[in-house]
Amino acid sequence: MLSERIQIISSEFGIDISKVKDLKDLENLRLKYLSRNGIIPLLFEDLKSASKEEKPLLGKSLNELRNYATNQFDSLKENLEISSSAKEDKIDLTLPGIIKTLGSKHLLTQTLDEIKSIFKGLGFSILEGPELESDYNNFEALNFPGDHPARDMQDTFFINKEFLLRTHTSPVQIRVMSSQKPPVRAIMPGRVYRNEAVSSRSYCMFHQVEGLYVDTDVTFAELKGTLVSFAQQFYGEGLNYRFRPSYFPFTEPSAEMDITCYLCHGKGCKVCKQTGWLEILGCGMVDPNVFGYVNYDSEKYTGYAFGMGIERTAMLKYGITDIRVFFENDIRFLKQF
Amino acid sequence: MKISINWLKEYVNLQNVTSEEIISKLNMCGLEVEDEVNQNEIYKDFIVAYVKEKKKHPNADKLSLCKVDTGKEELEVICGAPNVDAGQKVVFAPVGTLIPKGNFRITKAKIRGIESSGMICAEDELELGDDHSGIMILDDSLAQGTPITKALKLDDVLLEIAITPNRPDALSHIGVARDLAALFNVELEIPRIILNESSTNIDTLASVEIDDLINCPRYSAKVLTGVNVKESPEWLKKRLTNLGLRPINNIVDVTNYIMYETGQPLHAFDLDKLKSKKIIVKSTKSETSFITLDSKERKLQPGTLMICDDQEPVAIAGIMGGENSEISNSTKNILIESAYFNTSSIRKTSKTLGLSTDASYRFERGIDPEGTLNSAERAAHLISELSGGEVAKGFIDVYPNKIERKLADLRFSRLEKILGYIIEGEAVYAILSKLGFEIKYQSDEKLTCAIPTFRPDIEREIDLIEEIARINGYENIPTVNKINILLGEKKDESKFTDELRNIATSLGFFEMINNPLQSEKTASLIGNKISVLNPQSADMAYLRTSLIPGALSVVSKNINVGEKDMSLFEIGNVFSKRGTEVDIKSFTDFYEQQKLLLLITGRSSNKGWNSSEKFYNFYDIKSFVESFLAKISLDNVLEDSYYHGDDRFFDLYFTKNYLKSVIGKGGRLKKEILKHFDIDYSVFCFEFDIDVLKKIPLKSKRYLEPLKYPKVTRDFAFVFDSSVNYEEVLTFIRKSGSKLLKSVSLFDLFENESIGANRKSMAFTLEFFSVERTLNEDEVEKEFLGLINSITKKFDAKLRGN
Repeated sequence: MLSERIQIISSEFGIDISKVKDLKDLENLRLKYLSRNGIIPLLFEDLKSASKEEKPLLGKSLNELRNYATNQFDSLKENLEISSSAKEDKIDLTLPGIIKTLGSKHLLTQTLDEIKSIFKGLGFSILEGPELESDYNNFEALNFPGDHPARDMQDTFFINKEFLLRTHTSPVQIRVMSSQKPPVRAIMPGRVYRNEAVSSRSYCMFHQVEGLYVDTDVTFAELKGTLVSFAQQFYGEGLNYRFRPSYFPFTEPSAEMDITCYLCHGKGCKVCKQTGWLEILGCGMVDPNVFGYVNYDSEKYTGYAFGMGIERTAMLKYGITDIRVFFENDIRFLKQF
Repeated sequence: MKISINWLKEYVNLQNVTSEEIISKLNMCGLEVEDEVNQNEIYKDFIVAYVKEKKKHPNADKLSLCKVDTGKEELEVICGAPNVDAGQKVVFAPVGTLIPKGNFRITKAKIRGIESSGMICAEDELELGDDHSGIMILDDSLAQGTPITKALKLDDVLLEIAITPNRPDALSHIGVARDLAALFNVELEIPRIILNESSTNIDTLASVEIDDLINCPRYSAKVLTGVNVKESPEWLKKRLTNLGLRPINNIVDVTNYIMYETGQPLHAFDLDKLKSKKIIVKSTKSETSFITLDSKERKLQPGTLMICDDQEPVAIAGIMGGENSEISNSTKNILIESAYFNTSSIRKTSKTLGLSTDASYRFERGIDPEGTLNSAERAAHLISELSGGEVAKGFIDVYPNKIERKLADLRFSRLEKILGYIIEGEAVYAILSKLGFEIKYQSDEKLTCAIPTFRPDIEREIDLIEEIARINGYENIPTVNKINILLGEKKDESKFTDELRNIATSLGFFEMINNPLQSEKTASLIGNKISVLNPQSADMAYLRTSLIPGALSVVSKNINVGEKDMSLFEIGNVFSKRGTEVDIKSFTDFYEQQKLLLLITGRSSNKGWNSSEKFYNFYDIKSFVESFLAKISLDNVLEDSYYHGDDRFFDLYFTKNYLKSVIGKGGRLKKEILKHFDIDYSVFCFEFDIDVLKKIPLKSKRYLEPLKYPKVTRDFAFVFDSSVNYEEVLTFIRKSGSKLLKSVSLFDLFENESIGANRKSMAFTLEFFSVERTLNEDEVEKEFLGLINSITKKFDAKLRGN
């Protein structure tokens, strides 16, 4: 009977279409079922001989079969065409991509950027000052008396008796305090110069970040807290630290801050000279004499200052053992970071 | 400064304290231990051995073949020292021993065909001295096999302590011991001396007169007669050699020993060489020549403080004695000088002479004016013990204006205000007392103390606070875990340069940092160079006047290592005087300007599977500059000028101008400049003045709605005379076009025979649109034809394609 054949053909079509793998199989499927002499059009021929009563119902199911088959065919054809075009377009996807070179900031700038962002988060401004400085700003107002041996701590390039290449970023402290009243909270990065023989460990210039905070209730305890917070953000949580007494003419009490050697974790190695500690910065409470030079009332205000070398910081962090690398600007070095 | 732990322990009872604890405490009180030599550790493998037999090495003239008895076994050892001989007791390093000098380990080794099992050592190899003339020969009584640590009493721990300039008191064993006494809360025990003096009064033997009391406030002296100058005993020699000092004789050695004990530099004169047995301390009036005891002739400036006898100088005060009054083997009578000199006078002379000695180092930092006599007596006592001399009765002590102890107050509230925590009054009292401060008064609020004269660094309350903080331990100062943040204005003066760096890196540039110190030649290229008074070398004697030379050195160095393609930038300061003849007296006499340099050389793109090789050219640097300015919204604010021809740096260049002044300049670098840096490739660069750039007022950015109506484009190409330049045509088109003409861009340019000699073709795309409506074809066509017409007329150009 026609109605049974319709059902059988419907299920046979379902099986056949599920076996189609490529466009060639699909074409065979079309020829078998949908072409002019295919099975489905031939069923319509058979419909003509069906009885009047059966015709509407059989016609309906036959139409459904044809629509179903056509839809199935079309959507499969579309899918097969897409995948086959990809196959036919035989490009080598493993060829290298086209590299666009991005530049990069110098490693020292990157290191400084990181330091700046930490201190910005702690509420510090960022201020700058000149490299060619007066003896007054660089030494005298920072409580380095004219003939004091403390001046030997910093070998200086002089321009003449009154001018020099700044030996540290601390003169910016003087510039800032001379031009504004407390509170002052700022870091002052910049380039400094030392008349030291060039070697793997020292260069005639390097970079520092100075820090200064002056207000009515600034204590050594706050200095410690702030610098510990910095060190943890910069070098990573969980490090051990210590503050050792030291001497700088412009701070008192003065200290040096050490952190556990990141290489040997405190056991002692070549980098930390077997001590287990790495010195990362110098700091202290602003000496009242310095306040005197900038007309701050040292009874009312207290403050702290600190300074760290950026080269040293970057050397520690990235395992660089020769400071000269920073200033040779070998493009192979610059591209590494 | 070198410090011996064994020696320290003579002044403080720390018998049960390990050297590690001592080192740790010293580090944490501001006396930083930079190096530690533990003799027990270093010399643990060395032993005494007996040279039983010595033969000549069969294959080498200068080597000996020794049979060595180590107490346990007999070994064959090859020795190169000329003084080795059978029957000697020597220092022997068995196989496996680490030799301090050179840090190498002894292995069994064949030397000229014969195996040697160990090494007989010289003094320098053990770092006990610098003698390498032969091996050390030990006392016969030592048994072979005895560890050298025992035989030579090498059982000390020696420290190298970095003494900061504020702590002259710590330049001695007693000074360091005083800090330890406070740190460990034990007593400081200073040796007491009972002098056995002769009946001869010192005044009959010598006299002292101070002519310059400002530079020599105090001069104390002791006299000894009938001394026997000879080698010092072992214990004394060892003390000195341990500290790196060379023993000389029992007189000089004692003076050095006392200096390392008390910090007071002493000098011993041969009293019989002092004319009229008289000392006069005075400053020179004219330039003087003087031979110091190192046999060097020194030229002394007028005003140099000298120790003189009745006729001539016998020592440079506080720095070095003279050859003419030196202790010799025949010296019988001596005068021990123990003086206090003005710090800056000694420092000045030491600097001028370029002569720094253990004595001058201490005097220029400040010694204890109260300690002179005690040190002289201590020395007299020891010398008399070691040399058999008699100490003359009494002392000479010229000290007319006594230096008084200063008083200082400490408020406990201030202590807390600075440190951020409370230290109890009792603890404060204990610390200050142990450090030698005399507490004169104490209440709940404050204390007053007398500052010991050996602490010239202490005068103020803050100085006392530091003393208390460092002895109580910085580790006891709390570490706060919250801070207040100021809500006021925050500045970031580096923001603009940070932005420039971001743009440069996004355009593919790499940042350099160059040394601003340069040679005269490169600093002379532009501006008025500033010289350094005391340069390290001629290569670094001037400050840079431009960033270009430093960058070219970098290009050159990179090319030498095979890296020829570079796009580099630098942000840095350049320096220039306001005139060639200007003397820098104030900040207005020179410029320090921040500059930005962009530099490109080599290939802009490499040959690849889908790209061809391209080299940077003039237009690349130009477009980088444009991109840069566009990013900081200055692209339509500045004007360009173009130049062919001569400039210090460039042969083709352009400038960027703001209000008629040049704020940036760059182009192609001249061959002769490149040649100076050994560069054979084309280099393009552009230098901006950041300080000016930063100050140009910017219009604030406003949102522009995207265009709603279509754009109409038209192309045309003309043949021009080759003298016509692009900018002229561009300006003309822009000026002639209506409001509807929004953009003009060059899309083709060529010159060749087909269009005739001295002709060039330029093709432009014109873009028309309105933000208010859709344009109709006719109005565009009309304007387009009009433009063709006027260009043809204006430039005598010929429309192509017609």
